[in-house]
Amino acid sequence: MIQLAWLIPVFPLVGFLITSLGGKKLPKSISGTLASTMVLASFIVSLITFIQFNGQPVTIDLFDWISSGSLSIPFSFMIDQLSLIMLLIITGVGFLIHVYSIGYMHGDEGFSRFFSYLNLFIFFMLLLVMGSNYIVMFTGWEGVGLCSYLLIGFWFKNPEYNKAANKAFIMNRIGDLGFLLGIILIYITFGTTSFNIIFPSAGAFPNNQPVIIAITMLLFIGAMGKSAQIPLYTWLPDAMAGPTPVSALIHAATMVTAGIYMVIRSNVLYSLAPATLSVITVIGAATAIFSAAIAITQTDIKKVLAYSTVSQLGYMFVALGVGAYSTALFHVTTHAFFKALLFLAAGSVIHAMSGEQDIRKMGALKKKLPITYFVFLIGTLAIIGCPPLAGFFSKDEILAKVYVQNKAIFGVLVITTLMTSIYMLRLFFLTFFGSFRGTHDQEHHLHESPKSMTIPLVILAVLSAIGGFMGLPEVFSEHHSFNSFLEPLLTFPSSFIHEEMSHSLEWSLMIASTIVLVIIFFITRKAYTSSKGVPALHENDLSYLAKASYNKFYIDELYNFIIVRPLHIISEVFYKIVDSRMIDGLVNSVNKTVVASSRTLRMVQTGNVGFYIFAMVFGIIAILLFNLVL
Amino acid sequence: MNTLLVLAGIGVFGLFSEIFRFKKALLPVVFLGLAAALVTTVCDWNTNVSYFNNMMKVDNFSLAFSAVMICITMLWFIISPGFFTDETSKSDHFTLILFALTGGVLMSSFNNMVMLFLGIEILSISMYILAGSNKKSLASNEAAFKYFLMGSFATGFLLFGIALIYGATGSFDIDVIATRLSEGNLNSSVMLFAGILLTMIAMAFKVSAAPFHFWAPDVYQGAPTVITAFMSTVVKTAAVAAFFRLFIHTFTSMTEVWHTALMIISAATILVGNITAVYQTNVKRMLAYSSIAHAGYMLMAIVSMNSAAPSALLFYVIAYSVSSIASFTILLMVSNSTGNDSIESFYGLGKKNPFLAIMTLISMLSLAGIPPTAGFFAKYYIFIAAMENHMMPLVLIAVLGSLIGVYYYFRVIIAMFRDGNEKEIDFSGRYKLVMIIAGILALALGVAPGIVTGLL
Amino acid sequence: MGSIFQTIPLNNYVILSTLLFCIGVLGVLFRRNAIIIFMCVELMLNAVNLLLVAFSTYFGDAAGQVFVFFIMAVAAAEVAVGLAILTMIFRNTGSVDINFLNKLKH
Repeated sequence: MIQLAWLIPVFPLVGFLITSLGGKKLPKSISGTLASTMVLASFIVSLITFIQFNGQPVTIDLFDWISSGSLSIPFSFMIDQLSLIMLLIITGVGFLIHVYSIGYMHGDEGFSRFFSYLNLFIFFMLLLVMGSNYIVMFTGWEGVGLCSYLLIGFWFKNPEYNKAANKAFIMNRIGDLGFLLGIILIYITFGTTSFNIIFPSAGAFPNNQPVIIAITMLLFIGAMGKSAQIPLYTWLPDAMAGPTPVSALIHAATMVTAGIYMVIRSNVLYSLAPATLSVITVIGAATAIFSAAIAITQTDIKKVLAYSTVSQLGYMFVALGVGAYSTALFHVTTHAFFKALLFLAAGSVIHAMSGEQDIRKMGALKKKLPITYFVFLIGTLAIIGCPPLAGFFSKDEILAKVYVQNKAIFGVLVITTLMTSIYMLRLFFLTFFGSFRGTHDQEHHLHESPKSMTIPLVILAVLSAIGGFMGLPEVFSEHHSFNSFLEPLLTFPSSFIHEEMSHSLEWSLMIASTIVLVIIFFITRKAYTSSKGVPALHENDLSYLAKASYNKFYIDELYNFIIVRPLHIISEVFYKIVDSRMIDGLVNSVNKTVVASSRTLRMVQTGNVGFYIFAMVFGIIAILLFNLVL
Repeated sequence: MNTLLVLAGIGVFGLFSEIFRFKKALLPVVFLGLAAALVTTVCDWNTNVSYFNNMMKVDNFSLAFSAVMICITMLWFIISPGFFTDETSKSDHFTLILFALTGGVLMSSFNNMVMLFLGIEILSISMYILAGSNKKSLASNEAAFKYFLMGSFATGFLLFGIALIYGATGSFDIDVIATRLSEGNLNSSVMLFAGILLTMIAMAFKVSAAPFHFWAPDVYQGAPTVITAFMSTVVKTAAVAAFFRLFIHTFTSMTEVWHTALMIISAATILVGNITAVYQTNVKRMLAYSSIAHAGYMLMAIVSMNSAAPSALLFYVIAYSVSSIASFTILLMVSNSTGNDSIESFYGLGKKNPFLAIMTLISMLSLAGIPPTAGFFAKYYIFIAAMENHMMPLVLIAVLGSLIGVYYYFRVIIAMFRDGNEKEIDFSGRYKLVMIIAGILALALGVAPGIVTGLL
Repeated sequence: MGSIFQTIPLNNYVILSTLLFCIGVLGVLFRRNAIIIFMCVELMLNAVNLLLVAFSTYFGDAAGQVFVFFIMAVAAAEVAVGLAILTMIFRNTGSVDINFLNKLKH
């Protein structure tokens, strides 16, 4: 059965082909159902594969992809612990989001197009996590980037959205360039790109070998682009221009965690490069706290969630940086549940508010949207780490691991955790409590979302609530089932401290964080349910610091000033001098020569058969003379 | 072998369908027959059997090329019925195409000079008639006449060459010839050398290599477009396969005689084809020159003479045939709508028929050899094979030729996005089907070339 | 069998056939009437036939003579097609001069 795992990506591909070729002729009911069924089929196959998996990684060779000379790249898949977990997340959460989209996108004229893109995305994402060498992984990597671009600019009639799509595309290109160079360097160093040859042979390298540091840094640049880390994070908040299910699927649950997947996949290499790991730790921590600081003042419901995603990704990178790979993947899993839930619930709110995304215009939605309110509550509690919801266990584990390895970073993460609770609760209270601040029409129109949207929400809420139990810390149970499942794949850096936090310390940490949480809960509740807590509509009324945060610390403007403008000037200079004078002149003269010789050669073709035969005989005589006489 | 019987069988059935008036059943039977031929071809894979006293040898090389020809013919049969609607002699044309295909299969699996000759003639005679199948058009007449005259002239050289080789080695069997040649000490070397060169010239004529290419542009332009599509795909594939089989299998020990000459022919073909195509305003004629240039690249595989060459050639032939049949299908629709084959007919295509424009884009990119299309890897493998044999000058000329090629293929692409021709082109689903199949193949092979390269 | 080669050596056959072949080629090159060009092509083919028969006899191998039959049959078919094409052209243009056929060019 495991050998049939190649079917997993085939289903969404088929779905994509049918929905895209069928186009507008396909009735809406069919394209949505078909696309969802295909992902469900993939999920079922993944589940069966997971159940039958016996702990031994399996490689499935499909065909020789590119072979020439010494270069041979098989198109093959790899089924192991890591790819199985990712498969389940992608197809499971992916399926729920597909179902949700049937309700959310109904009435949109690009309905079939939307589902064809979603299916294509799932296909590439599966390719990314299943590929057994870096080239297949890179194909998936590029493919999801393309789909992300297409889906951010899904409503392509709005030029702002197109800009956001282009921004995402360009930022990702920078990262991809790093990734590609990394792959080339891997090929030069190891002579192959297949995982099961590279990783066993990497053990021969000593720690902090320059070439390994270079490879891991280049790969990490790729991860920075895809997983929105400083300095390449600014595309992700703008990517919220896409439809909300897209934000949930691509920009929260799956694609943005590809960078983390890639680092875990290459953990053997990373463990050999402690220098890179410390860079990752610092960048992750900086991203986590920086984006949390921005999220506190944002007023767009999706922007808050987007910055929260960036911040959570930072957490995961910190976990990777200290060598706690399985903990990072655990947080990827729980985060997929609760962040998808939060985004979809936000989508449900936006749906009810007729497209309004500004939380300053919401409020008191608790009564009108009871289910959405309830699931949003669960999602919020999960992300801020309220026991015993999913986020509590994964986040607590990251904190515990970081505490053992690096106290300073631990401090940064604790502050970030506090900020996370503040901005999430602020969002929650402003949206569902207080008084309604929208227009009269919006109030009249308020309604709970249809079943196709609420059922996935409820399922995700359940998962967010109980998802943490698959990784119960050792305080509670005999052993950590999630970590031990993943253990065979991992190699730890030599500096990694294997001792765990003492149980008494862990207990006190948990209790302390819970108490702080409760306090923050009541403070924010007091602050944001009253009308005074609602942020001002004009940024001039904000305090100096809040204004800076509201404007995302002017990072976009900074990039514009130090990168985009100089580039424009340089390209202008190149265009005027190098291009128009030198290159064009050269090209034009070559062009003229070719056209002139074409005109001459053309005249040889006289149309007269006699001449053709004459030319032919002439050719024959020339060849015979050339060979026989000379 | 069974392939050959099935193909000849449906050809004969086509003849009878005219007499017994079951023309309606003709097309389905042809499809079934071609499918059956394809199945028998695939079943023979890896068997390596020779038939008729070693006159024919069915090995993987011949099977792969036969399969390509059969598949392209199937695509051809999807597009062609629309073209012959007003003709009374539809079944004759179909029969002739089937016989031509039979000849092509024979050319890819011959093991004896007699079979080579018969294959070439079965193919050529059918094509002479088909080139002139538009009886009222003077252009079609002229094309048929030129093709026939020069074709039979070249046949004379082929036969003279075969006779001289027979005189030198005492056999028509290419295995025996190859053994005798490698043993050496043959009595009359002049006769042998002349024989090899004359067969090379005749084969160069069949693949339309310079300086024996003069017939090709005129014939391609004058013949009905569907026939041109067949000629530039199946006929070219057959000729190249026969050329390869003959020279790589038989004359490998005599490289000093033909190698340099063929290398020069290959380079000249690439340059002449590409350069002359630049100045063409008629797209059909441009495609004819482009097909000459592609013949030059295919010859590079023959002069490479190494283990990488067969699969490189197979890949090239598939990539070229697929993109070529797509571009001729597009040309057929465009010229049906506007009434001529000029480049102006493509104006405005991007706006009014986005689907056609995308397909044109794919096929032109593939012909030009630009990733992510099949044409890129086709050229890549050919160049790699040539470089392994240290033929840098030839590779440089070929790269130069490809650069020139980009120029005229892009002219078509640019023309699509200029204003003009507001009228949308209607076309039936069958054309769409062919274009989708060809387009998907061109992209799939450009993304995953390993599917084909592992075969040979 | 061998007796004939004692009086006329094989080389003479080769030279004769080559001459005949060249006469055929020259005829194709310099004549303008399509019918005569066909005849010249036939001459080329028959030169080949003569050569094959000579070799066949010399080697005592029947294959060459069998090949001659094939060539004759194919040549007949070819001429039939060729004449049909010519008839078609004659109907449309009223001439069989090859120099009138130059509409397709450049």
